Amino acid sequence: MVARMSERLQAVVFVVVLGLAIAGLYAYIQVSQPPPVTASGVVRVSLLIDGAAWTISYGPVETWNNTAYSLLLEASTTLGFPVQAVHYSIPNGVFVTSINGTTNGQDGRYWQFWVDGAYPQVGADHVALADGDTVTWRFITNQGGNA
Amino acid sequence: MNVRWRAALERGLGDRKTRMLGLLLIGLGALGTIVMRSDANFETVFVASLVAGSVLGRWWTVIVPMAILAIVEPVLWGGPYAIYSSHVILGLTFFIVTGFLFVGIVGRRLKPRVVFRVKSIALLTTVSIPMTIAYDLWTDVGEYAFIARPMGLTFWNVLEAQVPFTLYHLLSSLIFVPLFGSGILMLHALGWPHAEEATVPAEPADEP
Repeated sequence: MVARMSERLQAVVFVVVLGLAIAGLYAYIQVSQPPPVTASGVVRVSLLIDGAAWTISYGPVETWNNTAYSLLLEASTTLGFPVQAVHYSIPNGVFVTSINGTTNGQDGRYWQFWVDGAYPQVGADHVALADGDTVTWRFITNQGGNA
Repeated sequence: MNVRWRAALERGLGDRKTRMLGLLLIGLGALGTIVMRSDANFETVFVASLVAGSVLGRWWTVIVPMAILAIVEPVLWGGPYAIYSSHVILGLTFFIVTGFLFVGIVGRRLKPRVVFRVKSIALLTTVSIPMTIAYDLWTDVGEYAFIARPMGLTFWNVLEAQVPFTLYHLLSSLIFVPLFGSGILMLHALGWPHAEEATVPAEPADEP
């Protein structure tokens, strides 16, 4: 015959099991977060922004802004066009919502970006640029195609 | 107020303690979600809806999720949802509202088994896991219909992208369901400490 656990023992067992479940899930989530990009100098990086009805070109430049997002902000400051973005802590990353007044959702289009033709699976602030890279931002309806 | 209406209100909203707990759940649910709005899928509407149905029952099953969403959704429309057009926001809101209503109603079905015991907290926490997954699947249908399909994506693409977000949502449920559940159940079973003190006179009354 199995003895019934006291209420106190049940509480201890429950808290232990729950704590282990939370700790395991939290650890997995932390491990799955994209690693931060360390600032370093890159040369000959370029930016092309295709806003459907307009385009902006920037570079090639030599810069310490070595992520797709920081290069966009650098161009925004240098050329004087606005950029809006939402920052998320979980999942860690930035989501660009508007460039030069063209905002996500207009005509079912959204801002998406490519680095040298590759479509990254992480936020633009977590994509490290290498020498000679070209970042392309496009305001389009379909996803994941070629830049 | 009409006597019949008053009686219906009394039955629907319950006694003073139940009303206070209902308002507390609305406050905690709205505040928690607004404070954590930059953490995707970390929210307290789910737990407030589940606890409202399973502990308070009555009209609170519907009032709590609806009231929280009435407070929270306009805040989110101006924040993370601001990227979407109004018809997308309305479409997503339909799936969110019906999803949380479903959570409240499932909680209501558990009410007879939920008392101030460890087993009840464990039951609520266990139930919250499949409920969180079911809620996410339901809102995925909305995201597919209003965001992904117009972008040329499939429902499978939505499900794949949803996996990490459902993990965040499960973590949120595992943290907040036991916290809210035990706190509200304790208050429901034992009452408000200050209210109890106020009703007990310091000395026996001499006169009736």
